[in-house]
Amino acid sequence: MSILRIKEICKSFKSLQVINRVSLEVEAGERHVIIGPNGAGKTTLFNCITGFLPIDEGAVYLEDKEISRMPSHKLIHLGLARTFQKNNLFGGLTVEQNIRLALTSRKKFRYQLFRPMSGYADLKEETEALLDQWGYAERRSVKVENLSYGEQRMLEVILAMALNPKVLLLDEPTSGMSVVETAQITEMIKRLPRTVSLLVIEHDMDVVFSIADRITVIHHGEVILSGSPEQVRNDEQVRKIYFGGGARAHA
Amino acid sequence: MSSFFFLLLTGLAYGMVYFMIAAGLTIILGVMNVFNLAHGSFYIIAAYLAFTLVSNEVNFWLALVVAVLCTAALGILMEKFLIKRFYGKTLEQVLLTFGLIYIVSDTAKLIWGPTLKNLAVPAVLNFSIPLGNIAFPAYRLFIVLVGCAIAVLLWYFETRTRAGAIIRAGVDDREMVSALGINVGRVFTYVFAFGAGLAAASGVLGAPLTGIYTGLDTEVLVTSLIVLVIGGLGSWKGSLISALIVGVIQTVGSAWFPSVSMLIIFALMMLILIIRPHGLFGREVL
Amino acid sequence: MKRSALWMCLMLIVVIVLPYTLSDFGVYLAAEIYIMAIFAMSLGFIMGYAGMVSLGHAAFFGLGAYTVAILGTYVTNMYVLILAAVVLSGLVAMLTGAVFIRTSHFYFLMITFAFGQLLYVTAWQLKRLTGGADGKSVPVEMDFGFGPITSPLAIYYVMAASFVLVLLVVRLIVNSPAGNIMRGIMENESRINFLGYNVRTYKILAYTIAGALGGFAGALYAYYNAYVSPELTHWMNSGIAMLMVIIGGVGTLIGPFIGAVVFILLKNYISTITSSWHLIMGLILVTLVLVGRGGIVHWYAYLSRKLSGLSARWRASGKHDSAEGMKSVEHTEN
Repeated sequence: MSILRIKEICKSFKSLQVINRVSLEVEAGERHVIIGPNGAGKTTLFNCITGFLPIDEGAVYLEDKEISRMPSHKLIHLGLARTFQKNNLFGGLTVEQNIRLALTSRKKFRYQLFRPMSGYADLKEETEALLDQWGYAERRSVKVENLSYGEQRMLEVILAMALNPKVLLLDEPTSGMSVVETAQITEMIKRLPRTVSLLVIEHDMDVVFSIADRITVIHHGEVILSGSPEQVRNDEQVRKIYFGGGARAHA
Repeated sequence: MSSFFFLLLTGLAYGMVYFMIAAGLTIILGVMNVFNLAHGSFYIIAAYLAFTLVSNEVNFWLALVVAVLCTAALGILMEKFLIKRFYGKTLEQVLLTFGLIYIVSDTAKLIWGPTLKNLAVPAVLNFSIPLGNIAFPAYRLFIVLVGCAIAVLLWYFETRTRAGAIIRAGVDDREMVSALGINVGRVFTYVFAFGAGLAAASGVLGAPLTGIYTGLDTEVLVTSLIVLVIGGLGSWKGSLISALIVGVIQTVGSAWFPSVSMLIIFALMMLILIIRPHGLFGREVL
Repeated sequence: MKRSALWMCLMLIVVIVLPYTLSDFGVYLAAEIYIMAIFAMSLGFIMGYAGMVSLGHAAFFGLGAYTVAILGTYVTNMYVLILAAVVLSGLVAMLTGAVFIRTSHFYFLMITFAFGQLLYVTAWQLKRLTGGADGKSVPVEMDFGFGPITSPLAIYYVMAASFVLVLLVVRLIVNSPAGNIMRGIMENESRINFLGYNVRTYKILAYTIAGALGGFAGALYAYYNAYVSPELTHWMNSGIAMLMVIIGGVGTLIGPFIGAVVFILLKNYISTITSSWHLIMGLILVTLVLVGRGGIVHWYAYLSRKLSGLSARWRASGKHDSAEGMKSVEHTEN
């Protein structure tokens, strides 16, 4: 049973068709990676799925419930979360405050005006737990804008995980990272529990093949191929796209 | 009916004055994304300058030219040393120009005093034209014509000249335009000066209609903003249409429904902001 | 935590003792400062903590003031009148906020400006109700139920107490979960959206609170001044409130109060020397903007950081291992 189903989505900007009848499915617990040259429409696809952009045609189903036209903030409560290609954190706030904000969104007291936030013990515990789990305990009082780029990227993932999602959309998690940082975040992704299904956009082929259960290739807003890593690795069309486009491909 | 015509024509005259002020503000806004609260100050600076010149036996038309040039020069200085530093910083712009309003307003009061000053209609236009059975002041007709001329000028500049195309391109993509080797900063300075000059022209030309007094600068500002909002930020065409609408409603209204004419205008402004926030002709996003 | 409690105590002491060191006029002026401080705080709340810059906040001040002035002819109970002022302002804020908040920052500035002017013109034109340009005298006096409050000292304490109350309430709200989320919205609105929060609800909430507090200030002013006029809602008054917030420091709790103190004292002082206080104010404002670095509270924080950095360096220069000393300097500089 697929947990996230994207059915024949179309999206165009004025006269430019950016996404053309894209369909894909993410199985429960799966690590599904989307690859494709730049400008293929992958981030736009994410924006459509998460309600940031309206879909022209098609539908999106989360656990068989249609979410195609729902506002973004409601999707979080249904179990969908995402990270961004460009760091989208609360730069002026500390790591701890960032995580707290993420955790509070599903709490009943999020409209509370007259009690201090520090007074909620369970919130404090959960924040501590997350900080410890991902090794940020010592960095908790650092302003996010002062973190290294890699640390910020990983915090993106932590924030999304704090929402306790069923499906997590990762938009180019390793973008702009050094070799060391890439290895770190790949480890982190591998450590994510199978209770969370992943849909990942990635360019770094090493990373792709080390985490993917299934791969979908998108080019010019269309699905070229969707299958196992082996199938994708050996496919003629995919090779043509990548060798022609100049991106790194696995021989 | 003839009195309606009289009021209508007068309203159009006032409308044209509003158009000239608002056009300057909206062009600066549309091209540079700068919100100059002190725009009304340009109006009164020019008006007071012209008043002093005319009081000293200077020809009205010469005074007009001098006042416009001086105000435009002031605009250049203001843009270069004050505005340029705060592109994109709305709050700072609001505060800065707010402070400038205070400075100019008080300085004007110090120099010219708080009492009403009258700028006489230039002698050559000081007569009435009989239209039907009413005598319509030629000066007001003249203003309407000037307004039309300016509208034509703006249209021509925008659509037919290279400079106009550059400015339009600069609005859409600053980086691209500067990559083409065009000094965007200097373009902006000129645009600002042009807006100031336009406000100055409307100040001198409008002074015989409105008189010059303390508080005129903020009144002019409020009117310009109403015109802007209804017509659409960044669109001088919109300013033209809405300025005329506002001018007519105001003039006809204050004769026929004096107690609610201003209310109507503000209600219209609110309505537009609710239903069509970018105004009649404005761009979708700002 | 301890330090803010200390400041609080210090402030309370000053507030209580102050009137005994001032002339009657000084006491009266101080009361006005408290009222304007509340007004400035209400604007400072949405500007500094929810990221909404409004140029029409004086609309709520005027609404509150006129509510007391107009209803005061029919009802004399102070609690009822103030409650009515607060509720009406809050309601209007909620309804207009629901519409205005859909707009971008820029349009928001203009539409709030327009609304303020709309109220100004309305107050001007509805002569029978509001007295028009002549304004309206307030037919009631402050009365908690123990008799009318008329002495400058008593009025001072009422306004001072109101100010302290509002300060505490705003502080509570800012530190609450909802307040934290509002700050998050100001910091990164799209992220808050993608964390699952309904941004619109929070913005309307913030605006409603600000409107209600602004109305409260206006109501107090009606009692204080015994006279209301359309000028109260004029956009330039909104501008002055904004000025106070900026002078004191955006994004701080006590900033608006400091800004109110500075502005009103300056205005009074300068007016005794020259009638061109606008000019001086304008120059100060322009200078402030050009110099930058936030308001007085930020200056204070900046200076104290610099001072502690200096003293750390001074201490470190005596140490053997200067590297360790430099490390401690780096820490405080952050």
